Amino acid sequence: MKDLTTIIKLMTTKKKDIVYSVVLGFLAGLAAIGLFSASGYLISKAALTPPLYALTILIALLKLFSITRAVARYGERYFSHRATFTMLSDLRVSFYEKLEPLAPNLFQRYRSGDLLSRIVGDVESLQNFFLRVFYPPIVLALVFLATIVFTMFYSIYISLLLLLGLLLTAIVIPACFAASQKKKKLFIRTSRGALSTETTELLYGYRDLKIYGQLEDKKSQLIDSSTEYVVEQQKEGQLAMANQSIHTMISLFISWGVLALGAYLVSTGQLDGLFLAMLMMISLTAFENAAPMAVFPNHFEDSRNAAKRLYSVVETNPKESVERLNDLSLGGAKSISLTNVSFSFANEERPTLNDVTVQFPKGSKTAVVGASGSGKSTLMQLLLNIQEADSGEIKIDNLPIDGLNQESIWEHANVVLQENHFFYGTIKENLLLANPGRTEEEMMDALKKVDLDDFFLTNEVYEKGENLSGGEKQRLAIARAILRGGSLWLLDEPTSSVDSLTEKKIYDHLLDQAKQDTMIIISHRLIGLEKMDQIIVMEKGSIIETGTFNELINNKGYFYEMKQLEKNLLM
Amino acid sequence: MTELKQIAKSYKKIKLLLIMTAILTGASVVAQAYFIVTIVDHVFLQGASFKEITSMLLWLLAALLLRVSLTYVNGYLGVSMATSVKAKLRQSLVESYTSNPLQSSLEGQSGKKVSVMMDAVDEVDSYFSKYIPQVIQTSIIPLMILIAVFTTHIYTALIMIITAPFIPLFYIIIGMKTQQKSEEQMDKLAAFSGRFLDTLQGLTTLKLLGRAKEQKHSIQKSSHGFRDATMDVLKIAFISSLMLEFISMLGIGLIALEVGLRLILFESITFHAAFFVLVLAPEFYLSLKDLGSAFHTGRGSMGAAKKISEELKKDSPPIKWGEAKLDTNKTPPTIELMNLHLSYGEDKFALKDIQVHIAPFEKVAIVGRSGAGKTTLLHVLAGLIPATSGEVLIKGRPQRDYAEHEWFNHVSYISQNPYLFSGTIADNIAIGRSGPTTRKEIERAAAKAGIQDLINELENGYDTPIGEGGRGLSGGEKQRIAIARAFLKQPTIILFDEPTTGLDLKTEKILQASIKELSKTSTVITVAHRLHTIQHADKLIVLENGEQIGQGTHQQLIHSLESYRNMVSVQRGGGVK
Repeated sequence: MKDLTTIIKLMTTKKKDIVYSVVLGFLAGLAAIGLFSASGYLISKAALTPPLYALTILIALLKLFSITRAVARYGERYFSHRATFTMLSDLRVSFYEKLEPLAPNLFQRYRSGDLLSRIVGDVESLQNFFLRVFYPPIVLALVFLATIVFTMFYSIYISLLLLLGLLLTAIVIPACFAASQKKKKLFIRTSRGALSTETTELLYGYRDLKIYGQLEDKKSQLIDSSTEYVVEQQKEGQLAMANQSIHTMISLFISWGVLALGAYLVSTGQLDGLFLAMLMMISLTAFENAAPMAVFPNHFEDSRNAAKRLYSVVETNPKESVERLNDLSLGGAKSISLTNVSFSFANEERPTLNDVTVQFPKGSKTAVVGASGSGKSTLMQLLLNIQEADSGEIKIDNLPIDGLNQESIWEHANVVLQENHFFYGTIKENLLLANPGRTEEEMMDALKKVDLDDFFLTNEVYEKGENLSGGEKQRLAIARAILRGGSLWLLDEPTSSVDSLTEKKIYDHLLDQAKQDTMIIISHRLIGLEKMDQIIVMEKGSIIETGTFNELINNKGYFYEMKQLEKNLLM
Repeated sequence: MTELKQIAKSYKKIKLLLIMTAILTGASVVAQAYFIVTIVDHVFLQGASFKEITSMLLWLLAALLLRVSLTYVNGYLGVSMATSVKAKLRQSLVESYTSNPLQSSLEGQSGKKVSVMMDAVDEVDSYFSKYIPQVIQTSIIPLMILIAVFTTHIYTALIMIITAPFIPLFYIIIGMKTQQKSEEQMDKLAAFSGRFLDTLQGLTTLKLLGRAKEQKHSIQKSSHGFRDATMDVLKIAFISSLMLEFISMLGIGLIALEVGLRLILFESITFHAAFFVLVLAPEFYLSLKDLGSAFHTGRGSMGAAKKISEELKKDSPPIKWGEAKLDTNKTPPTIELMNLHLSYGEDKFALKDIQVHIAPFEKVAIVGRSGAGKTTLLHVLAGLIPATSGEVLIKGRPQRDYAEHEWFNHVSYISQNPYLFSGTIADNIAIGRSGPTTRKEIERAAAKAGIQDLINELENGYDTPIGEGGRGLSGGEKQRIAIARAFLKQPTIILFDEPTTGLDLKTEKILQASIKELSKTSTVITVAHRLHTIQHADKLIVLENGEQIGQGTHQQLIHSLESYRNMVSVQRGGGVK
């Protein structure tokens, strides 16, 4: 229910449309009743050969009612749908907004196909909340009350019967349905999510599935999910159908009762026979308004589930950190210091970083080396403030990182990650992401620096850069970093898939461009590190050696051994 | 357009049942009107006592009950039909997604494909659950009402016959527009899905580049675009029902006027007959109007169906495989590449004239600068991308002569970035072999791939969830998982894509040992950047811009090929000399 409250709040921003919808819905409902009761009255009156003018007035009234009904119904639908779909659109955007800060850790908890299914399917299904749950009961109640008051002028018994009908169809029966629905528990939302997730994974993991001959298994798994989903839908559809039928049955039974009671009252002289047809018609029409109540519990339950699924993602908001007021100042190389920094990933015993203390002076060039899993990339994530240290202090330009506005750190950073994302579009679009102000010449120049001069800016890039080789993706990411123009370089194995000839060329360019800047490179090779101001050697989350290339070689420690190993492997 | 009609044809039995319910519904509608009118007539004009009409009241109740039950049956049949169609459509989409060659599976945004699979198929639902049952109802019930009215009062029937055709005419005109608009709507939804999924995947990159806010605007635009498209469709629907309302109102008005005048001025009709036709008239138009709205949703479904069939037609012809068995007796087959060419259209990348002979157990390395076509060559060798011309001969027979599973049973492919499925580490290794695998075998494979220590350090060991929704693994760890898959599979051909990149020396050493172990039982073809890999290779293939510029051993090439010499000297740290 709490989740729905959020939705209701969002809805109240569309107050005007809601009021229009209710008023017009009420008008349409009344006009319909007016129309049919007038026609019932007309025909009975006509049977008694009244003066012609009475008939003319009645027919004119009939026209008026039917035009009012048609126009009001149109208006009601228009406003209610406009409000609903604007709200859904806002909801999607606000969902994305809430999702965005959770980015780096999101995929450890949710699968992307699942998230897609939530933002599209679940949001879409919330349309029923307004259209079928929120305002129809209001309209129904208003129309019925007006009708009951009107019928009281003719027969108090019949109006009481109608009141009983209203209570039954609008409250008692929907409540029964809701109770039985709770027991059945439909998994329609979850099974839809499962199917969407499986499909996404099949598309992403296509190659590996094919090679390992698992495509058939995955396919049948997918078909199973699909069957499960449609079966859930079928169950829901049939349940709704059954509920609707029972509901219609009850309301028809009430109308039948009105006729029977009316007939009895007429035969005993308590009611003028002239009104019998009219009352019967009123009853039949009034209960048409109650028909949506049959599916009310269905939609209510569905909306509640959808809202819950939506908000369960974004509400797991990690600890809201202290307000970050400071912006990193513009320009100039940054100095970074880490003091006794430790970090471990959630649910892992072993700390990924253990008591790390290190200085990166202004304008220095540092290489970080070490075995896979030694914590190099995690160190980078802490520097970027994508992850927060469990203990210890990180300072940039002597400002504690947790007091800094994240965006202002990223604004100054030229980053190449191990896995860089490329979007569906062109090379140009992907480069412009780094800095929308860059000209085509500058982009071409950056491409040249990373040895991609055979690329055109208009070349197509597939989703996730799937049409680019590993080396091309890395070089494109470096080009992006070059175009970014920040003064802090954070490069995580930027050239690991680039051949050595090109790698050397790119490094020369980078060191040239970053002469004044602070640069930290995580390197997978030990070649070319002679030019670095300091080399940090990491092992199992700790820094075990620090120094220049020559110092480390002369120390004959871990780095020296690694170097020997590399030489041995080469020769 | 005709896709849905084609599908609908195969549901003869359900349609027959629908026709039967429609006939019974028509009968119950007429009966209901008859009993109501007769009861009112009896008590109002003929002063009958309540006792006299009790049996009539009971008959009316029976007619009402029948009508409701029939509505239920009708809906039930529609839902069943829709369920079966949706299942079938999804199945053919899955078939299509899984049978495409690799290249076309990479094209386009995955989110769009997911959207077709999910939303477009769901959109088809109403064609079968609503439109078809309604078409059947509307082609029978109004006719029955017309007959009943015709026998009672011929002029009313004539008014009905004259006004009725305007209704279908109207919604045919409107329906055309709806279909076009709802196609736009599906497009917008697919575009939104595509954008959202793509953005989600790259959210970290975007944030670091300071673009997350801009991306929000583009998501917003995409989302509003979808809303506007939806409203466009709905506006047509509302206008159309407004118009239908007016037409039916006009019809009912005319009927009321006609019987009214007749009743008062000419007294040429009884109250019973007049009331009867007046009760039936709204039913008559209602059925036609219902078809109007069903027609609207039906058109919407057709728009979605078109999206589905477009997706199905997009299929590049699947790679054809033969039936032949590849019997190796644990000896790798010889592999020959004959005049191999590959182009993706005119200006897209190509492989040119590749000629290679690979003997069993040979260690082959493909070298070249990045973008030279090394990975593409590996894909062709793997049988994932068909060559444009030329042949891949396996044991002297074209690769395509073999049955697909026969071939893939012999191959392991360790890519630069192996995909980890959402599941446990054990699941991800077990994927290497089809058929049941014991935990022991998985552990042995992991040990051989040098990843056992890492797994043992994890709290849940082999049961740690990885992939999306689980623990993230580093590039080196992912490759070791892929190698464990290979150890489990024991293939005779191993394709490595830059296996030692992105790793540190210790990991590299582990991997080298693993590869060495694997090469004892198989032919290994490696896309290599490392000297130690190529030095130990029996044969090197040097590629430049898709062309094979040299072939031979390391020693031979270093003397004969200058660009090769350059590459190697940088690798050794010497720089270009």
